[in-house]
Amino acid sequence: MMKPVKIAMMALTHGHTRKYYQTLRENAKLDWVASCAADAEAKAVYALYETKVPCYLSAEEMFKQHPDIQAVVIASANDQHLRDMTLCAERGVHILSMKIPTFVPEEYDDMIKVVDKAGIVCQIELEMHYNPVVMRLRKLMADGVIGKVLSLQATNITLSPAWAFPWQGVPEASYGRRVPLRRGDHRFRGGALCDHPHVFDLIRWLTGADFAYVYSEVAPNLRPDLEVEDMILVNGKMTDGTAFLFDPSWSRMEERLKVPGPGWEVFPKRMEVNLSIIGEKGTIMCDCFGPNIYHNGAPNDRYTVQYTYFDEWIGLIDEFVACIREHKTPKINLQWHRQTIDCMNACYRSIDASAPVKVC
Amino acid sequence: MRLKKMNNALQMLCGKYPAKAEGVLVKNTAGAMGAPAALAMADGKTVKLLPWRRERRFVELKNLVDNRTLDGVSTLRFASMASGRTLSALLYRELDLCEFLGESGIMSGFAVCNGKTANVIVKLHDGKSCSVECSGALPAGTEPIDRHEIIARRGVACDRAVDTQVPQASIYVFAQDGESRFTDGDSELFGFDHDEALLIRAAFAVLAEPPLAELWNVLDARLVKRTAEILATDKSGKPVLYKEGE
Repeated sequence: MMKPVKIAMMALTHGHTRKYYQTLRENAKLDWVASCAADAEAKAVYALYETKVPCYLSAEEMFKQHPDIQAVVIASANDQHLRDMTLCAERGVHILSMKIPTFVPEEYDDMIKVVDKAGIVCQIELEMHYNPVVMRLRKLMADGVIGKVLSLQATNITLSPAWAFPWQGVPEASYGRRVPLRRGDHRFRGGALCDHPHVFDLIRWLTGADFAYVYSEVAPNLRPDLEVEDMILVNGKMTDGTAFLFDPSWSRMEERLKVPGPGWEVFPKRMEVNLSIIGEKGTIMCDCFGPNIYHNGAPNDRYTVQYTYFDEWIGLIDEFVACIREHKTPKINLQWHRQTIDCMNACYRSIDASAPVKVC
Repeated sequence: MRLKKMNNALQMLCGKYPAKAEGVLVKNTAGAMGAPAALAMADGKTVKLLPWRRERRFVELKNLVDNRTLDGVSTLRFASMASGRTLSALLYRELDLCEFLGESGIMSGFAVCNGKTANVIVKLHDGKSCSVECSGALPAGTEPIDRHEIIARRGVACDRAVDTQVPQASIYVFAQDGESRFTDGDSELFGFDHDEALLIRAAFAVLAEPPLAELWNVLDARLVKRTAEILATDKSGKPVLYKEGE
């Protein structure tokens, strides 16, 4: 049996941080040796999960104490990703990056350079690729069940994580810069759209096409005290002619918890990724996280959707380890993901222009 | 559509409840975008019907907005899929529902179409956004599928249950000759299908409240124009804009 990959987590301020804990502990291909927190608050939250893995307050200190670290899950705010990737690349440490490497094109170029120069694996975390419902959907499409795809509609709607992970409500930390949505609008880029790249990525994977143009509109915020957008719609066309419509909003209200847990949701279902794919020969409707179980018990006695599975992280980590061991390029690498980020930036340009804009 | 039986039922309602005018249901003009039947009034006028405005689910959704059960509406998310219906017919109803439930006029619309599908983003004058997914590409014989969701600062309302994707039925029958389902919502018009019953109710609404005739005809004319203009944005590549009160 091969030696497990020695892995660490950095920053611990990303919303997906806690989703890795179980996989990092249970996957025999990994040896989770250390973590480092962005600040004392992140370290205190980390302590609540009782991982028994040592946690430092500086990445340099973590690498000094654990020079054998081979790979890192970078779980930091978007504006810290280039710095964190550079720290890892300088040490030849492989990287599992959160879903948004950066929205700043120059930073994205720099990321590609440092990763290529170091010859390390850099995989982007887009867990829907490992979702069993999506796997079935992709097979149905490949089998020609609905014929040529005409149109795809998708939701990627959630509650807002901005109270538990405050950087997600800060334009500079989330979007990388403070850019007004449009003239006369007091809000800035960096909200719900920046949290929801999955449907933009999925349509490329499912159709094999790239984006031609997008049109996007924002609605009045559900949370007026956020300075970033929380309600947004996008439609457009792919280069193969597929029409699409996305809802990547924070349209499900939440209790403003500092640490996510039971009772976080106000709307019964805290997260949804649903797709409708219309083809020349039929239509597929798909709920990537359903059906589920339902209760109205503690803590708030509200009708609540209790999700029944989340095993995407297993396949994601398996691929990451395989790429490290076999020196392969991950399916979701920086180059592949670039077009998705370009399209999301194009959505913001469309909002500013109140008109469709080209992506390619 | 069984017009003779529908008109008998309409006369039954007129005999049972006060009606201020007389008229009969007639087949709508060939190629018309709106409802499949119109009301021919005894005075010679023809009234275009907007039957969904009398459909209980939409009346109740509107009530939730009016009585502020929902507060601070931000976004409407609509979908309408059917077989054998044109995109124009599907979008016509949804655009009307945008204004009816959104309680503001359409300010802009932009459609992206492909074959029998259209994905539309509509903006209302008061800032609300609406997404409208239309598909006339369901296979023949498939029941229509739709969804109407209103998202507000306080509350979300929808005509579909949480964590479901398709409409639910009142009765499911699993018998030796297969599965069937029934949803009957009008005891006075029991035996008519859903769309027939709605047309009879809409026609009776006009006969009971004649000023509706002019209002619905004005709305129809505007909807016909706007449906065509919004669908045309797919070719022009530019959203169509409307002034308030236009």
